[in-house]
Amino acid sequence: MTPENLLRPPLTTQKCTLGCETLDRCLGGGIPCNSLTELVAESGCGKTQLCLQLVLSAQLPLTHHGLSGSSLYIHTEFPFPFRRLQQLSYSFRSLYPQFFGNNDPCDHIFIKGVDTADQLLDIMPKIESILLHSRSRLPIRLIVIDSIAALFRSEFENTSLDLKRRSLLFFKISGKLKSLAKRFSLAVVVTNQVVDLIGASEGINGLRIGNLGCLYTSGRRVCPALGLAWANCVNSRLFLSIKEEAVGQENGLVDDGGGVYQCRRTRRTLHVVFAPHLPESSCEFVIKGEGVFGVET
Amino acid sequence: MEVGRLPISTSRRGKLLSAGYTTLASLCSASPSDLARDIEVSEGEAIEILKIASHTSRLDGSNGSLAAVNVGAQTAWDMLHEEEFSARITTSCLDLDNILGGGISPKEVTEIGGVPGIGKTQLGIQLAVNVQIPIHCGGLGGKAVYIDTEGSFMVERALQIAEACVEDISEYSARLRKDFQVDQVKMHPNNILENIFYFRTCSYTEQIALVNYLEKFITEHKEVKVVILDSVTFHFRQDFGDMALRTRLLGGMALKLMKLTKKFNLAVVLLNQVTTKHTEGSFQLTLALGDSWSHSCTNRVILYWNGNERCAYIDKSPSLKSASAPYSVTSRGIRNSASSCKRIKMM
Repeated sequence: MTPENLLRPPLTTQKCTLGCETLDRCLGGGIPCNSLTELVAESGCGKTQLCLQLVLSAQLPLTHHGLSGSSLYIHTEFPFPFRRLQQLSYSFRSLYPQFFGNNDPCDHIFIKGVDTADQLLDIMPKIESILLHSRSRLPIRLIVIDSIAALFRSEFENTSLDLKRRSLLFFKISGKLKSLAKRFSLAVVVTNQVVDLIGASEGINGLRIGNLGCLYTSGRRVCPALGLAWANCVNSRLFLSIKEEAVGQENGLVDDGGGVYQCRRTRRTLHVVFAPHLPESSCEFVIKGEGVFGVET
Repeated sequence: MEVGRLPISTSRRGKLLSAGYTTLASLCSASPSDLARDIEVSEGEAIEILKIASHTSRLDGSNGSLAAVNVGAQTAWDMLHEEEFSARITTSCLDLDNILGGGISPKEVTEIGGVPGIGKTQLGIQLAVNVQIPIHCGGLGGKAVYIDTEGSFMVERALQIAEACVEDISEYSARLRKDFQVDQVKMHPNNILENIFYFRTCSYTEQIALVNYLEKFITEHKEVKVVILDSVTFHFRQDFGDMALRTRLLGGMALKLMKLTKKFNLAVVLLNQVTTKHTEGSFQLTLALGDSWSHSCTNRVILYWNGNERCAYIDKSPSLKSASAPYSVTSRGIRNSASSCKRIKMM
């Protein structure tokens, strides 16, 4: 029994806040520890934004629903958005001056670039020893992998042998991550890309997984990359979608001369595709200079 | 009753039987101090009884196979009777119970598979809670072992389901009480959680070691009436270059689990994932772990999406006809599908 155990109510899994109450409410408190959460979205939806915000808010003390921990950010898409992280950390610091006085929150974010799936597996023992022997003020409590799909993009062909080799790697990676999550009570977040569904929707890619019959983003029907095998490897799956909407008609701003003057608005939504502890739900969000925020509807 | 044949005094025999020592095996595995406490005799007397018991069981063994057969054999008629009277574990969904012949059958291994997010874990948690429904409400009044290999067991969800179950039970006994006054012990959701023994395994070695240990664990916790393995698959899909080894390990594990069901009269529920099978250029969905594994379970239930509705299908069973039924996952747990607007059966 550690002091942390005594502080928190005994009957819920510890969660890490996303740094926004509205989003937290949608996810039952945030990203759960001892568990693997997947964030699926097309590019430009806000996966990385959400992850960057998460590595900052994980440093908040338990009283503020953080994990009071530092985090490890494994990025597979280059370059790492340092500028944006710094921008977010400034606004984060000014939001919580009481916790960060002179400390830069960026000091508690460890970043590592990885190119291939094998390389990711190779650094796992190193991650384990860092977790065991870390002397930093805050223990590592969060691992982000952004994105898992990029690791598998080039190396594998669409033959049944290669697909089999690929899914073996999925289970290996996920098994390793889950056992680290369990041992060190980490929250693990993995982002994933989407692929477009072309042709008959009845095929194996059109297979329904989770609460939503089909996933739509930017008006296209998509499904998460890496297929069914990977879907078996994660505990929860969240989907971010974008919808472009023409606004202004109701305000009478549209010029009747052919729609030259048109104002478009992007609506972003977070959906729970499946999660052992959450019902089907969704929440609209916006991305601002200061971070990602849920919108009450 | 094997214990009934022991050459000891009738009162002692009665005490033994009422303390739950019905077979020689159960008696021989007890320690003298436990036995002395259970049947309220001195430790010396307990040692004496144990000596007689072990002597008798050795005689049984040396008398050759005939005695063993006589003790072990059971007529099909008796078995039918036993089956009729043994309660099943309800799924809390009437339609699903109906196609399952009343619920998950004890003494059998049932495999349940489906795509991610279909509700396998939800059903697992529901069964771990429902096995504790007291006997006077038609349940088993048992405890549950939950083996989590994927990390999907969420305690707050178990609490939610337990709370709903307690509400249903108290509503049910309130209705019963109209007929006769019974002072029931109020069940509390926290007690339900206390009676779920949770194990988390992080590798297939751990998983096999745990299954091997279960026999000892359940001998010490005889109230366990269901073992849920969520999922049997995960670690076995990781790194098996040697498929023959995998098949052997899985087969051995299945045999161990089957032995548990017989020995302790409990239900084993294995959750499985689905995978795609490549046949003649087309892909087909099938439960994971291959063809040889599909022989390892007595019953096989497949969960699938039918449009917007979750359905369960009995794929294999020696006693049930193949059928399918809709169900839904609600905040209270597994329930009847909203579309089949029937009254939800209590318990």
